[in-house]
Amino acid sequence: MLIVGGGPAGLAAAYRLATRHRGPGGDPPVVAVLEKSREAGAHMLSGAVLDPSALTDLMPDWRSRGAPVEVPVTEDRIYFLTERRRIPFPVTPPPLRNHGNYVISLNRLVRWLAGQVEAAGVDIFAGFAGAELLYEGDRVVGVRTGDRGIDREGNRKATFEPGVDIRAQVTVLADGVRGNLTKSLVERFRLDGGRLPQVYAVGIKELWDVPAGRLPAGAVIHTLGYPLPHEQFGGGFLYALPDGALSVGFVAGLDYRDPGFDPHSAFQRFKRHPLVAGLLAGGEMVRYGAKALPEGGWHAIPRCHVDGALIVGDAAGFLNSMRLKGIHLAMQSGIAAADAALDALEAWDTSAERLARYAALVESGPIRRELHPVRNVHQAFAGGLLPGLLYSGLSLVTGGWWIRDPMPAHPGHQRMQHVRGERSAAPDAVPVDRRLTFDKLTNVHYSGTRHDEDQPSHLLVQDTDVCRTRCREEYGNPCTRFCPAAVYEMVDARGGGKRLQINASNCVHCKTCDIMDPYQIIDWVPPEGGGGPRYEGM
Amino acid sequence: MPMPSSDRAPVLVIAEQRAGNLNPVTWETVAAAQALGGAVAVAVAGTGIAGAAAELAAADVAEVLVLEDPALESYTPDGHIAALASLVEQERPGLVLFPHTYQTRDYAPALANRLGGVLIPDCVGAEVRDAGLVLLRPMFQGKFVAEVAPAGPGPHCISFQIGAWRADAAARGGAAATRTVPVSVDGSTIRQRPEAPFQEAKQAVDLTQAERIVAVGRGIKGQEHLPLVQELARALGAEVAASRPICDSGWLPMDRQIGSSGQTVSPKLYVALGISGAIQHLVGMKGSRTIVAVNKDADAPIFEVADYGIVGDLFEVVPALVAALGE
Repeated sequence: MLIVGGGPAGLAAAYRLATRHRGPGGDPPVVAVLEKSREAGAHMLSGAVLDPSALTDLMPDWRSRGAPVEVPVTEDRIYFLTERRRIPFPVTPPPLRNHGNYVISLNRLVRWLAGQVEAAGVDIFAGFAGAELLYEGDRVVGVRTGDRGIDREGNRKATFEPGVDIRAQVTVLADGVRGNLTKSLVERFRLDGGRLPQVYAVGIKELWDVPAGRLPAGAVIHTLGYPLPHEQFGGGFLYALPDGALSVGFVAGLDYRDPGFDPHSAFQRFKRHPLVAGLLAGGEMVRYGAKALPEGGWHAIPRCHVDGALIVGDAAGFLNSMRLKGIHLAMQSGIAAADAALDALEAWDTSAERLARYAALVESGPIRRELHPVRNVHQAFAGGLLPGLLYSGLSLVTGGWWIRDPMPAHPGHQRMQHVRGERSAAPDAVPVDRRLTFDKLTNVHYSGTRHDEDQPSHLLVQDTDVCRTRCREEYGNPCTRFCPAAVYEMVDARGGGKRLQINASNCVHCKTCDIMDPYQIIDWVPPEGGGGPRYEGM
Repeated sequence: MPMPSSDRAPVLVIAEQRAGNLNPVTWETVAAAQALGGAVAVAVAGTGIAGAAAELAAADVAEVLVLEDPALESYTPDGHIAALASLVEQERPGLVLFPHTYQTRDYAPALANRLGGVLIPDCVGAEVRDAGLVLLRPMFQGKFVAEVAPAGPGPHCISFQIGAWRADAAARGGAAATRTVPVSVDGSTIRQRPEAPFQEAKQAVDLTQAERIVAVGRGIKGQEHLPLVQELARALGAEVAASRPICDSGWLPMDRQIGSSGQTVSPKLYVALGISGAIQHLVGMKGSRTIVAVNKDADAPIFEVADYGIVGDLFEVVPALVAALGE
C-alpha cells in the first residue's frame, strides 16, 4: 500500500491500515507514505478549528496519547465588517457553532499523528514527492518519485539521484488541494465528468504573538464583509491559542471577477481594520503561510476510485465550506479509503469495481451526512454575499433542496473579467509598515520556505509569450497579484517590453496559480523533495 | 569472533595522511577496528611519514606498518592501489577498513576490485554476531539502515562514514611496534600526474572570508552595467557579491549570492548598491561591521540597517565614489 501525501487524510488512511488489519493469518499490509516536505507536517497549514469526531473514530484514546488538541473553543463571534465598524451577528448560525471543537495547529497535529503512524509500523518517507503515476494499461500500479540533483538547466549535478519507482497494490492519493498526481489522474480518466467544476479559495494566515489579555484562549472570531465587496466570496478569522498566540487569517474565493484583486493585499487591509489592528497592536508576527482550499462541496467531488488507486482528503475536495472545516472530513475519507483498500487486498481484487466500496462508504457514512445537505451553498455565494447567506439559511430548513439541484457552478478562473479601461477597481496598495502590514517577500521569509536555487523551476508555464502579450492586455498579469508569495513578476525585458520572471524558490506550495491562471497554462509540479515552507505552529 | 586468530592481524586499517600530517578521521577507523575485536594493524603509505607512524604507534594496536616509496610522494590512485594491494597480499588481513574520505572514494573501489573482493562503503556501524560480521549502511537518505554481511573469501574492504565512530574512543596506551613493509611501486605504471594542490582562483574566493564586499542588486538594471560595480570593488579591494535576482538572472555566479538562499557574510565593510533590502538579503549581511547603502528609494529597508546611506542613483554615485577613491 502506498499513500502519497502525509496530511490528515493520508495519515488517517495509513494509521487505519496499520492498526485495523489484524485478522487471523494475515500479516498487516506493508504501508508506506510519501511526503514532499522535509519533515512530516511542515507543509500543513490551516486555521484551524478541529471537529474531533474523525480523530475519535480513528483513535479513540487520542487524549491519553498526547494529541496536541488541547484548547476547546470557548466562544464564537461573527461580525460583519464595514471599513471602520463591526456589526455582530445577533445569533451564531448553527454551522458555525463550535462548541465541542478545538482550536489547534494543524502542523503540530499532523506531526504528532505522523509519530503515531510510524509507531504503528508505517514508513513515512519525508522529503520525497510523487512526480508521476505509474500505469500498467489503465491500472495505477504505483508512483515514481522525483529526481534529485538536477540543475536549473536540467543537467545532472554531482548529487544526482534518479527518482525511484514505488509499486503498490493500491495507491492512495492524498496529495492535497489541487494535487499534481490527482490532477493528472482526473484528467486521464475524466473523473470529473458529470460533476460540477471544483471551485477554490486561498487562505492566507499569520501567526502572531500578542500581549496577554487580548482574547481568551479558545476564542473564535469570523468576519464577513470588508475588505471584500459584497459580490466576492471570503472572510477573515481570528483564533486564539494559549500564551498570547493568535492565528489571524483571511480566505478569499478564487472565483473573483476583478483581475486587479490581490488576496494578500486584502489580508493586509483586514489586519488594518480596527477590530483586528486592536487585537494585534504591540504584538509580533512570527509565522506566515498560504494554502488553497477546495470549496466546491459535494457536487464537485470527482469519482475517487480507479483500478489500483483512490483519492482522499483535499485532493478529492472533502471540505465543508459552510462549517469552514475539512480536517475531519479528510480523515474520514482516509479511514473509508483504508477500509475499502483492505477489503480489496483481502479479496485479491483491487479493480475499480471492488474499490468502489470506498464510494459506498462515503455515501453511507459521515461524509455524505455532512456534505449533502450543504451541497448547493457555495454555488449560492457565487451570486454574492446576500444570496449566499439567504440560501445558507434556507438550506438549513430544506436540507439543501433547490429548484436546480445541483445549482450550477463555473470554474473560478473563468469568472475573471478582462481589465476595463485604464485600471482595475481594486483599491490602491496597502501601506506596508512592517509591523502590522508586510510585503509578500517579507511574509515569505516567515514561512521558512527554502528550495535549492539550482534546480529547474517547478512552475511550468507552457507559453510565456502569452504573459507579455495577451495576458498583459486582457488581465494585466493577475499572477503577480494572486500569488501570495511573490513568485511571479513582470520585469523589464532586454530590448524593451516585459517578460515573466518566476521566483520559484519563494513558492509556499499553495497552488493558487495552478487554479486561478485565466489561461490555465501554469502547471504546479513538485520541486526537489524537501523544498517548500517549513511551517511551525501553523 | 568467527575470524581466524593467528599471528597475522585480521583487521587492517588504512590511515590517511597528506604531506606527512595524519588525517584525524583515521582515529575513528582505528576505533571501529578495535570495536570489532582481534588484532589490529594500521598501515600508512607515502613519503616523510615517520611522524605520522609514530603518532599512530600510540594506539592500542598490534603494529603500525609503514609503506615508504618515492612513487607515493604525492597521492595518486594508481600508486596507492599498487602499494596497498601488495601490502594486503603480503599481510592477508580478513578485513581492510578505511575512513570514508574523498580519497578513499577515489581509490578504494578499484583496490577492492584488484583484491578480488568488494567494497562495502559508507557504513555507519558494525556488529559481530553469531553468524559473523554485519555492517550497517544507510539507505534512502538515512531513512533505512541496511544490514550487509560480507560473503565469500576476504579480504573485505569496508569504509566507515565520518563521525560513525568517535575518534577519542580509539584506545591508546600501547606502544605499538612499527614495521616497514617493503613495497616497490613502479612509477611508470602510474597514469596520473598530480598537479600542485588546487588553490581556488582569486575570483571564486570564499565570500565569508572577505573583509570588504561590494554587493549589487536589481538597481543595476542590466548585466552590461556590472563593470561599474567591479570598478568600485577594485578600488576598494573588495569582492563583488549580489542579491538573489542578479544571480538568478545569471549575471553573476550563484556562489556570489548573499542572503537566506546564498551565503551569510560579516565583512568589515559592506557596500549595497541598488539593493532594496528584502529580509532574505538582510539576514545574510546584517552582521557586517559597517554597511553603506546606495538606493534611489529613501524608504528602502536597506537604510534601516545601513550605517551610511546615500539616497541617489547608483549610476551617479558609484562613478563619483570611484573617482574619489582614486585620489
